[in-house]
Amino acid sequence: MEIDIRKIDEIIERYDKSEESLLAILQDFQHTFRYVPEQGMKRISEVLDIPESKIYGVGTFYKALSLKPVGRHTCKVCTGTACHLKGAHTLTDIIGKELDVEPGETTRDGRFTLQTVNCVGACALAPVVMVDDDDYYEGSSPQDVLKNLRKYK
Amino acid sequence: MTMENRKLQSVAALESYRTKIAESQKNEYPVIYVCGGTPCLAKGSRAVTEAFKKEIESQGLACKVELRHKVTGCQGFCSKGPVVSFGNDTVYLEVKPEHVPEIIEKTVKNAQVIESLGYKDPQTKKRAASFQGIPFYAHQKGMILKDLREIDPLEIDDYIARGGYASLAKAFAMDPEKVIDLVDQSGLRGRGGGGFPAGTKWRSCRAIDSEVRYVLCNGDEGDPGAFMDRSIMEGNPHAVIEGMIVGAWAVGAHHGYAYIRDEYPLAVKVMKKAVEDAAAMGLLGRNILGTGFDFDIKITRGGGAFVCGESSALMRSIEGKVGEPRAKYIRSVEKGLYDLPTVLNNVETWTNVPLIVNNGPKWYRQTGTQGSPGTKVFSLAGKAVNTGLVEVPMGTTIRELVEKVGGGIRSGRKFKAVQTGGPSGGCIPESLADLPIDFDSLSKAGSMMGSGGIIVMDEATCMVDVAKYFISFLAEESCGKCSPCRDGLPRMKQILTDITEGRGKEGDIELLEELCDVLSYGALCGLGSSAPNPVLSTIKYFREEYEAHIRDKRCPAGVCRNLVTFHIDADACTGCTLCAKQCPQECITGERKQAHVIDQSRCIKCGVCRDVCKFDAVRVE
Amino acid sequence: MEKITIKINGKDIEAVKDQSVLEAARENGIAIPALCSHPEIETQAGSCRVCLVEVSQNGRTRLVTSCNYPVRKGLEVRTDTDLVRRIRKGVVELLLSRTPDAPVIQKLARENGIEESRFFVDEGEHYRNRCIACSLCTQVCEEVVGVSAISMLDRGRDKSPGTPYLKPSQACIGCGACAYACPTEAISMTDEGETRKIWGKEFKMVTCSVCGKPYIPEAQVDWIVKTTGKDRAFFDKCPDHR
Repeated sequence: MEIDIRKIDEIIERYDKSEESLLAILQDFQHTFRYVPEQGMKRISEVLDIPESKIYGVGTFYKALSLKPVGRHTCKVCTGTACHLKGAHTLTDIIGKELDVEPGETTRDGRFTLQTVNCVGACALAPVVMVDDDDYYEGSSPQDVLKNLRKYK
Repeated sequence: MTMENRKLQSVAALESYRTKIAESQKNEYPVIYVCGGTPCLAKGSRAVTEAFKKEIESQGLACKVELRHKVTGCQGFCSKGPVVSFGNDTVYLEVKPEHVPEIIEKTVKNAQVIESLGYKDPQTKKRAASFQGIPFYAHQKGMILKDLREIDPLEIDDYIARGGYASLAKAFAMDPEKVIDLVDQSGLRGRGGGGFPAGTKWRSCRAIDSEVRYVLCNGDEGDPGAFMDRSIMEGNPHAVIEGMIVGAWAVGAHHGYAYIRDEYPLAVKVMKKAVEDAAAMGLLGRNILGTGFDFDIKITRGGGAFVCGESSALMRSIEGKVGEPRAKYIRSVEKGLYDLPTVLNNVETWTNVPLIVNNGPKWYRQTGTQGSPGTKVFSLAGKAVNTGLVEVPMGTTIRELVEKVGGGIRSGRKFKAVQTGGPSGGCIPESLADLPIDFDSLSKAGSMMGSGGIIVMDEATCMVDVAKYFISFLAEESCGKCSPCRDGLPRMKQILTDITEGRGKEGDIELLEELCDVLSYGALCGLGSSAPNPVLSTIKYFREEYEAHIRDKRCPAGVCRNLVTFHIDADACTGCTLCAKQCPQECITGERKQAHVIDQSRCIKCGVCRDVCKFDAVRVE
Repeated sequence: MEKITIKINGKDIEAVKDQSVLEAARENGIAIPALCSHPEIETQAGSCRVCLVEVSQNGRTRLVTSCNYPVRKGLEVRTDTDLVRRIRKGVVELLLSRTPDAPVIQKLARENGIEESRFFVDEGEHYRNRCIACSLCTQVCEEVVGVSAISMLDRGRDKSPGTPYLKPSQACIGCGACAYACPTEAISMTDEGETRKIWGKEFKMVTCSVCGKPYIPEAQVDWIVKTTGKDRAFFDKCPDHR
């Protein structure tokens, strides 16, 4: 994927030039490019004067960061305790079957990345599915969830 | 208005500003509060708000009726959302857009209560449409959550109108040591898990000779099944900020950070806006309220790592590093963020501080128990009838919480246990349900308070599966720094998996116990040393379930897929076809109004049929 | 340096305030097994957990890692209680199941009375090596060498040291300090002729003008010249012939 270096600099510019900004910059990369590109980490190393090894270490440690591009939408199946008790595992299987991916994978057309996440804090909807940052679906009827997923292009 | 002239220059200016906005907020009709908490949004509260907007406009009521659709403020009763209330005792549940005209006509314009929109008691079938009349609310005590129902978290004026930031005036007029005395006398204990006395922590930090100190807010609520801190940050962010300012004054800190979990994008947004607004009003930044005291707060968004809820890992993460804990032989009050003296409290703890300063420790101690004063906010989830965000005095028993507030167990099954404290906590059996919920009783029972997630479990919950669930969670979230946690958890997980899949052997329980000891004593941080709790507590109280899996290859709760089969009881089945529609394998067949049959060769034992069946016709053996 | 007296295994010994218990013990001839501690590192990670001891202070007794527990007044240490032995044995058994091929771990296991691990053994290239993920190599690279060519990557069971993007590191000077420091000899470094291979990168070695032996990577010489201002001619001869 072609990454615009100006976009990278623009993101780095938003923050103080200190190591403290590292995680936030990487998060913004993830948000903008749907992954953390190598060029971006190299650029941070130059501008913030942090060894690349440390940036890469941070990039591989945090789950919110991905070194491979994720899909246009993320479908997060919550596996919090309440969701687990109410069948999150099965729900993941069913969605995975529909999208033809395993958790952590992206569909071939790049439409969805399926993830399992630790508690999104919406236990009353358990088992709950969260699409992107703000759409939540009650998963007690898996077929309804699949219907909703089809809306995302 | 420019930013500069919004700045309040003195305590007196804050008070007169408060009077001014309180005056301007007076309305002819009651305010309509539509809950915008996540579950309510998912259940359609946005459409309800739209309907209110339209109705208010079409009736020409604008300016007379104020509609508050809070993007976030949770009104608590998540399982019965969307919730609508009016700033008085009236509350409606499961409101739909078509109810709106009637609500405007009767409740808003004529102060009439529509009982049919209230709570229907499953036993007596009686309706109640008031906070006082609904058991879920009536048994709560709202010290922390009360404001969530009525404050627009994006409007600082709303907070100020309801007495917000008043504790600053009191605190700034006192010697910092005296503020610590207040917190000490109140008996406030950290709501993040361990229950460490906040006053003691603050005093130790202040006692360290240092130019720079920090106060931090732990908003990395990672326990699965816990959403209290999320709701507070999203619903009443200024209360958290106010508490932090008081704390900073008390310990002598000029910089603060709030570390918020990555999975809570809304909390990050709301807290950021609140910090900006507070700074614009001169409540944060240089020379707060003209007192000469400087304090600022930065928001750090977490990166999706459970271990960052551990204090030293959280501090490393704020510094922009990998969130690995360090040995805490020298405590963080001495060497914390950037190796400087640091006080870290969680969201709920900070929220308690303004209450204590405003009302005094004596008032505060009227609620709760001697050893654990105040209230505790819980997220009640799992198999209870009513679930949501609740607040009860410390010392309330588990049974009261589950049966009175939670309304007992769904679908008439038997109450089996509660899980408290997340992955660091344990399962407490129904036989101990009369235990008061406070820091010490829960620890004694082999669990812990944790941050306040309470998961209710019924007889269809397998305790070995629950232990496996938490250990898998922890194995995935281990930072990998120390060997007991990094290498021990995958091995505990393997043993538990073997047991749940029918490959358990004699001696497995003892082997698990041995590994638990290596973790409790040998792991570097709290995540590792408390990781055995879910296993040890389930072995302690439900050993026979482990033995049934190991010896008889049987899962008594009917959960472990390899050990069960699903059948439909032909007598109980009404042929409603619901299960056939929801079966992911499409392996349930039958005519409408005729008994259905499961094709065993294709059944994956997912349990969806059992969960959707309204007639309890699906049997597990 | 404030001298204080502490007790180790019932014996009074003199130690320096804030030095580690491990150091104090060793200076007094008391052996404590340890893998990942290193005198040149400022903050001991305490990750291998092998150096556990029991300490009592202010009426509280607990297990701590001796490599980073500071010597303070009134400290009592026991290095050989039942609990210490039991937990250390458990830790070593876990290390053995992780790295069954590491001779150092095999020896430690025998010393702790372990024949073989009762737990599953990690298989696969990523796991089946000698690395116990103690992070000492990365600390030495950062603190002692000063290049930070490697860091700990990933988390949990997958945690391991590596170079950025898993590619040959620009920053690496081929000094091999990581390999020398590694307690389990897990880092592969080969010197063949005038070429050293480490972390997937090849380094040309400087040969000694007296004995003709290749003895230091050119990149390391460049680094030392750059950071210390030392004369390049100094590296013409190996330490034996200077």
